[in-house]
Amino acid sequence: MFSIKKVAGIAAALGLLAAGAVSVPADARAKVAPKILTVWADSNRAANLIKAIGTVAEQTAGDYVAGYKINVVGYTGFDTLKTAVDAATSANGPDIIMGANDWVPTLAKDGKLAQFTLSSSAAKNFTANQLGDLSYNGKLYGVPLDINNVAMLTNDDLTTVPTSFGEMVAYYKANKDSAGLTRGLCVAGGSMSWGAAGILSALGGSPYAMSGGKAKITGAPFTVKTFAQNVKDQLLNVDGTPNGFFTDSDSNCKQDFIDGKVPYAVIGNWEWKDYVAEGFDMKKLSCVPGIKVNSCGAGFGSVSGALLTSFAASAGDDNAAKSFLNDFFGSAQGAMSYEKYEQRPPANKAAASIASPALKGFGLAASKASIPQLGTFLNGGAKDTTGLVLGTKAAPGTKGADVPSFWDALPALWSALVSSDSTVRKDPTVASQLFANIMAANAAHSVNN
Amino acid sequence: MIFLKWFLTKSWRHAIAWAVCFFALFPLYMIVLTSFKKTTSLQVGSFLPTGFSLTNFNSLLTNPTVPFYTWMSNSVIIAAFVSVVSVFIGAASAFAFSRLRFRGKKASIQLLLLIQMFPAVLALSAVYSIMDRVHAFAPSIGLGTIGGLVLVYLGGAMGVNIWLLKGFVDSIPIELDEAARVDGASPMQIYWRIFLPLASPVLAVVCLLSFIGTFNEYILASLFLNDPSQQTIAVGLHGFISGQFATNWGPFAAGSLLASLPIVVLFLSLQKYIVNGLTAGAVKG
Amino acid sequence: MRLLKGIKIAVILKIVLVTIALAVLGFLMQAALLAGDTQIGIFFGIAIFLIALVYFTRISIPLKFFLPGVLLLATFVITPVVYTISMSAYQYKTGNILSKPEALKMLKSNDAFAQVPNEKKFDLKLGWCDEKYGDPKDVANAPVCALVSYYPDNIYFLSTATTLTPLTRDRIIFNKVGLPADVTKVGAKYTWEPFYEDEYATFDKTIVSTRFKYSKPGTFMQAEGYSVMAVYAQRIVYDAKADTFTDIKTGFVYKDNGRGNYANTKNGKDVMYPGWREVVWFENFVNLVNDPSVRDPLVAVFIWTCIFAVTTVVTQFALGLLIALTLHTKMRGRWIYRSIIILPYAMPSIMSIMIWGGMLNTDFGAVNNLIGLLVGHPVHLTWLTDPTLARTSVLLVNLWLGFPYFYLISTGALQAIPAELTEAAAIDGASGGQTFRKITLPLLMQMLSPLLISSFAFNFNNFNLIYLLTGGGPKDTLSGQSAGATDILISYTYNLAFNKGTQNFGLASAVSIVIFVAVAAISLYGIRRSKVLESFV
Repeated sequence: MFSIKKVAGIAAALGLLAAGAVSVPADARAKVAPKILTVWADSNRAANLIKAIGTVAEQTAGDYVAGYKINVVGYTGFDTLKTAVDAATSANGPDIIMGANDWVPTLAKDGKLAQFTLSSSAAKNFTANQLGDLSYNGKLYGVPLDINNVAMLTNDDLTTVPTSFGEMVAYYKANKDSAGLTRGLCVAGGSMSWGAAGILSALGGSPYAMSGGKAKITGAPFTVKTFAQNVKDQLLNVDGTPNGFFTDSDSNCKQDFIDGKVPYAVIGNWEWKDYVAEGFDMKKLSCVPGIKVNSCGAGFGSVSGALLTSFAASAGDDNAAKSFLNDFFGSAQGAMSYEKYEQRPPANKAAASIASPALKGFGLAASKASIPQLGTFLNGGAKDTTGLVLGTKAAPGTKGADVPSFWDALPALWSALVSSDSTVRKDPTVASQLFANIMAANAAHSVNN
Repeated sequence: MIFLKWFLTKSWRHAIAWAVCFFALFPLYMIVLTSFKKTTSLQVGSFLPTGFSLTNFNSLLTNPTVPFYTWMSNSVIIAAFVSVVSVFIGAASAFAFSRLRFRGKKASIQLLLLIQMFPAVLALSAVYSIMDRVHAFAPSIGLGTIGGLVLVYLGGAMGVNIWLLKGFVDSIPIELDEAARVDGASPMQIYWRIFLPLASPVLAVVCLLSFIGTFNEYILASLFLNDPSQQTIAVGLHGFISGQFATNWGPFAAGSLLASLPIVVLFLSLQKYIVNGLTAGAVKG
Repeated sequence: MRLLKGIKIAVILKIVLVTIALAVLGFLMQAALLAGDTQIGIFFGIAIFLIALVYFTRISIPLKFFLPGVLLLATFVITPVVYTISMSAYQYKTGNILSKPEALKMLKSNDAFAQVPNEKKFDLKLGWCDEKYGDPKDVANAPVCALVSYYPDNIYFLSTATTLTPLTRDRIIFNKVGLPADVTKVGAKYTWEPFYEDEYATFDKTIVSTRFKYSKPGTFMQAEGYSVMAVYAQRIVYDAKADTFTDIKTGFVYKDNGRGNYANTKNGKDVMYPGWREVVWFENFVNLVNDPSVRDPLVAVFIWTCIFAVTTVVTQFALGLLIALTLHTKMRGRWIYRSIIILPYAMPSIMSIMIWGGMLNTDFGAVNNLIGLLVGHPVHLTWLTDPTLARTSVLLVNLWLGFPYFYLISTGALQAIPAELTEAAAIDGASGGQTFRKITLPLLMQMLSPLLISSFAFNFNNFNLIYLLTGGGPKDTLSGQSAGATDILISYTYNLAFNKGTQNFGLASAVSIVIFVAVAAISLYGIRRSKVLESFV
């Protein structure tokens, strides 16, 4: 028989020996040249950036950043990317994140971003607003990549580009049965919050007012009475029920619009090709028309950015990352080579000059009326210090409660306006007033920070 | 008369069965209907098929950015590995809890049951950062790898199926063990030679259930695996309907159909054993 | 002899397997230690020790069965849970996520200085220079030296951390695109030597930490990439002794406020970011009780969670049992019925939930279409956006997902009830209903109660269903509701911790402890009452 102890001794020795044998290469983990610069993006952007610069294996050292190869990591979706960014630490974080501008305030507060300065030649390529979008507390954290905005597309098989909101409603009412319309206007591109801002603004309910390139931060952002009256006039029947011009969800909007069941749709500039493929004419792009003839609702116009992280410094890649930002994303050449695949309107002016007519259409819609998508407004974080901001439901003791962010408040306003049995909707003024209060509180908060 | 008798005794049974079958089949029918439609929307013009098109399957299977087969094989590999290993670990635990005497047994089994009740989703960040540290020195089992995900799944292996397994172990007559022990067999030998062979049908069922459970996991998989070539089918398909821009129900339905088919077939063909396995925990001989 | 041979093979197999496991773990331990992760290295060390101890000695036979499971459990369940629990004692939210040293480092390096407005941005070429030592390639002694230029104004100079040497244009060698690339020698001596390509990567930290000298007092230059030089000035100064920051311009002093931020001593609300995680002990728990904006939604969500879990188990069990009883007889097509009825259970639930989400859409969903077809006119039931209907939807979908399971186990249990029992009751003159109530049902309940309890526990934390179907909504955000109508504790807490905007991980951890205690208490009570554990142990 075996002696168990002897066996154990032999086995333990064998185990350690094997461990030693296997681990010999571990000592050879010497410095690998070239170093790796890591970029995180969602899978779409990652794929396009890889097309523009190649994978790590394809790059020859020094092509983009001397002594470095660029490693692009793609995450399934934007939300997954954000989750990963939120969980990232200096041990694992990337050097650069291709993200949204409204991430900048929270990430900067969290100490995950590092400030950075654009070279004069790169800075010339961007507007002050675009740079402001990627700044927090006066510090710039990245290079603008492309403009995110939406514009309204009219199905010209059905009707002509409208000049006022009333014209659209009138067309819908007159043709909803004969043309089998499922609704008048819907948001096909992007989430409701993103796309619907321009529509609400057209009705007189901008989330925040702009003056002189800066957000207005005191008082109500819009006239509640006018907005509520417009909602009544345009969206509700006499008995207060919704007239069907809007529906409470935007699923199938894109398909319905393509099928001719919706005459007008707000589409995103990242998806225009899908419509061109279906035979739509990008010359029919416009802003969402306002109540007054030839006026415009102000939608969001913002930029996505390549953001510099503070992790780059801990990894010893800080200057290389800055170099990549300045010399690739900041340069006309780099931006063009990337946007060739990304196909969104580039923020970079030099790259924008060669953009297609569709992209110029979006640019035009943006230029007519657009407000920057200010992260401090959109993400909230304000406290209800007066106990007066929120509605009656939360009334007693709500002092100190979190004021909803714009992202949360807008869909709520939306469903209050169009959902048939919403409790707030009994009178649109109530919902409008709440929305105005929320935005005023968030505006005041964004200044304090 | 025969009809009347049938009507009185059996017809209500058939009526209930029909109603329930309708309830069970309705969503599944919608998946089939949607996947063979020409458009990508889930909207129903008519509940009857209005045409037959393989557009959705084409856009699923031929799109180079949608590695459907890879997703599928990733899911199968992950789920198969996790289910086999976790059943093995779970069976050993259940056996020990049922047949061995040791101090603190009651406390430890209560602890094991309670730990499972912790809302695990919230420990996500912690798991994430642990695996990330692992990735720093062992890239093949860290964050972003199938190996790492499998390890995390195995973390719960000991407790997850213990209810099902313990019932079965209890149902094996203890006399068998005692006979073996009298013959001088050690607990290990009893486990390997007597328990495992006897339990193999139940283990197979638990294995299948664990397979399906792992196949269904979404949150961890979506956070852990970023490289499209490493993703699981649930994460991959979710991308179709969670896009920032548009929802593609058509390819999603087509993908769900293809992905579910093998599991459904497996399940149906083994249903007799599954019923036995599920009830073994409760119904003791 | 035969027996002995068998043992030998088993023992050898065991030794081989355990040895392999030890080798792998040993390798991982070494790798972890080499990479500087001592904690994980020690963890592997303990694992190795335990494995060797348990499998090579007779110290504990039960542990031979438990160890693999226990090790995995400890690593991937218990450690994260303990970590999460410990976070409940921290101020740990957006803006306060780093450790204090990390935050301090960020404040000192990144936030301490600001770009000087209206200053030039210079073109930059990095290199080495030191005329004193002769050979600028003597990296050990030569400092990093920037060749800085601004060609519109014909400005050229060399800058190190301590020196600034103006150059005339004729000493500059330009490259093809007209940017300065090199400096001519003076006599036989190099003045300046550009970086080799790989030196950029190697000396990144040196470059980043160098404050290059600039001509204006109180300012310095920093490299912004390989080709840009920008001018900065100190904004705040850190006093290590007092652990305070002082704003140079305003004179405000920022002091550690004990809650994870440096705060203005004159105005406590004016705090510097990033902050850090700071221990606040039971503050998060106190908020749960005292702060109505935290407490009220939590209570509402808790009540709904209980209703949801109980209703789910009851409806699933009731329908499952009904079908089991219905089909618990010889009838034509029974196997077809059975096969169809278990389909929802066989179908991967994640996909079913998402499909249901589409089907319940108000305007286009199949459910409304079907109802419209039945009642003869279109209906617009807001399944997912009306609070009551959304709760109904969640329960309905969960019923669909779960009833086949209860059908299967009820069938199995019914088959296990000896026919003699019910027959005897019938002979004694009991009606079908009486037999069921008095004999069948109690027996069923006794057999199935552990499964009912575990189903309750599962549904109490049924994250996937809520997350994928309603996302916890709808919620009346405008009126300040922070929890949705269908939010159960786990989805509510998930939103607290992983919200897209601002996150409060400390509070979320506190809530998750409350959830844990609640579920554990309910389940333990159930287990005790049903005496499940007694039969188990």
